[in-house]
Amino acid sequence: MKFNAPFALILSAMATCAWAQASSTKSVNTIAIIMFLAFVAVTLGITWWAARRTKTANDFYAAGGGITGFQNGLAIAGDYMSAASFLGIAGLVYTSGFDGLIYAIGFLVGWPIVLLLIAEPLRNLGKYTFADVASFRLQQKPIRILAASGSLVTVIFYLIAQMVGAGKLIELLFGLPYEVAVVIVGVLMTLYVTFGGMLATTWVQLIKAILLLSGATLMAFLVMVQFGFSFENMFAEAVKVHAKGNAIMAPGTLVSDPISAISLGIALMFGTAGLPHILMRFFTVKDAVQARRSVFYATGFIGYFYILTFIIGFGAIILLLKNPAYFTDGALTGGANMAAIHLSQALGGDVLLGFISAVAFATILAVVSGLTLAGSSAISHDLYATLVLKGDRDEKKEIRASRIATVCLGVIAVLLGIVFEKQNVAFMVGLAFCVAASANFPILLLSMYWRKLTTRGAVVGGGLGLFTAVILVVLGPTVWVDAFGFTEAIFPYKYPALFSVSIAFIGIWFFSITDKSASAAAEQSLFDAQFVRSQTGIGAEEASQH
Amino acid sequence: MQIDTIRQLPEYAALTRARKKIMWPLSLAVIVAYFALILTIAFEPAALGNPVSGGVTSIGVVMGLGVIVFCMIITGIYVYYANRVLEPLAQAIRKKAEGNA
Repeated sequence: MKFNAPFALILSAMATCAWAQASSTKSVNTIAIIMFLAFVAVTLGITWWAARRTKTANDFYAAGGGITGFQNGLAIAGDYMSAASFLGIAGLVYTSGFDGLIYAIGFLVGWPIVLLLIAEPLRNLGKYTFADVASFRLQQKPIRILAASGSLVTVIFYLIAQMVGAGKLIELLFGLPYEVAVVIVGVLMTLYVTFGGMLATTWVQLIKAILLLSGATLMAFLVMVQFGFSFENMFAEAVKVHAKGNAIMAPGTLVSDPISAISLGIALMFGTAGLPHILMRFFTVKDAVQARRSVFYATGFIGYFYILTFIIGFGAIILLLKNPAYFTDGALTGGANMAAIHLSQALGGDVLLGFISAVAFATILAVVSGLTLAGSSAISHDLYATLVLKGDRDEKKEIRASRIATVCLGVIAVLLGIVFEKQNVAFMVGLAFCVAASANFPILLLSMYWRKLTTRGAVVGGGLGLFTAVILVVLGPTVWVDAFGFTEAIFPYKYPALFSVSIAFIGIWFFSITDKSASAAAEQSLFDAQFVRSQTGIGAEEASQH
Repeated sequence: MQIDTIRQLPEYAALTRARKKIMWPLSLAVIVAYFALILTIAFEPAALGNPVSGGVTSIGVVMGLGVIVFCMIITGIYVYYANRVLEPLAQAIRKKAEGNA
């Protein structure tokens, strides 16, 4: 399939026209638009370059396995640091100080776990998706169906949250209608993934990570310079101007009861190790050594980024609360999530505002592209290749299926983005982490380390985890009360991970040890060979030669 | 080379032992550090608001930023150890396996 340059041009022309119309009614930041168009032009150029290099399945899913550890670390950071976490955490710090830090920490603590337990065996055992690892010694069909379901549920929830956030952000920043914004995001991510596969996605994520890290560094620097680089001075000033005073230095209302606190902790810590778009990135490097190096750099970049976000949130408290220009009817214009955006204008005028707006847009595109690629791989590599192609491993057919799946996912993402416009979708990222922690993570971890795991145990336990996570979120306060409008929740806790993760592990354990079938014994006897490969890399998939 | 032969190599025993020795303690350290903070937030939130040394900077903020830095240090320790200890063993095993293939 050829990359269609004229089509891409038409798309940019469409966007420009829409802007021209929009700009007649609202004030639009020209610098933001120029920077955004430059980003789109560069990334489409990369997609065109990547499309010519994407020939085999290994190219499409894993960029030929030729990404270095440092590049992959940066790309992982680009895949993981979403606009939602940048704007959301800065907004939460702006509203209630310390509470924002709780989320920031939660998003980071999963990374050492990924490094210590998951990254190297994953690279040694798998090929393109984490289902490769889970089904290594178990029955292909049921395990891949389950793993693909877990992946798709995670991807769809994550995607809805990002699409709705993207639409609102672009509507506000660029003055485009919400639907147009969602369509532009959907079309661009579909173009990147369909034509450029993992190679284009990786470079989009790399560029985005560099832009976001430099933008956030600059903002944090401009904040800190006002306080002589002293946290104490900054906090003292913030406490003085914030309505909550000293309370912003302590936990507030985010975590109200112990069960919710522990549940949120479990979801964030173990969910990271079960996110399909993150796990997939480990197949883009040459070997386990590079996989290890990737996580080291990724953890460094992500941790550094969250510290910056914390500083940016405090900067917003001090610089915005004193300035009525950023407020409409007593509240921050556009809501607390706009704190970082307004702060960029307070710090560096329209130039920095334009740059940060364009960075936020690039951030969204990079994250949704990674998600879409993970979703389409689950469909083509795990479902289509196993259920339809069966033994006939035709790479061309598989890649074609993946491209069709990408286009379908793009359409679905746009439609869901429009359907959920008026809903509060903040809980969906939490739900994605919860599903990842309750279904994907237990199956993956136990398939690598627990000899006695059987197909029956993995399918029943993993299925229970997936099901419980979704049901308890629906019956809990965020959906049952906030979205459906009932007065009281059937399940009292906001975060169900404590229950759903426990159920998954207990289910897998119980249905494995009671499985006395001949196939179970065969699966358990394959553990030693699998363990040797996972530890030493003997027999692992190699990078393709280019 | 047969799987059983690899498993009987002294380097293989050394590799799995060395990996276990670093993997679980470091994982546990991260889990304990994180849940210690989460449980303090859940049960003793007010304690985290106390200033560290008479100023405004609270114990909670120091602990929170501390956990972030701690995670980075843990990954650094593991990568350093893995490159120095685990990788030479894995390489030795791969070499022997290739030699006898």
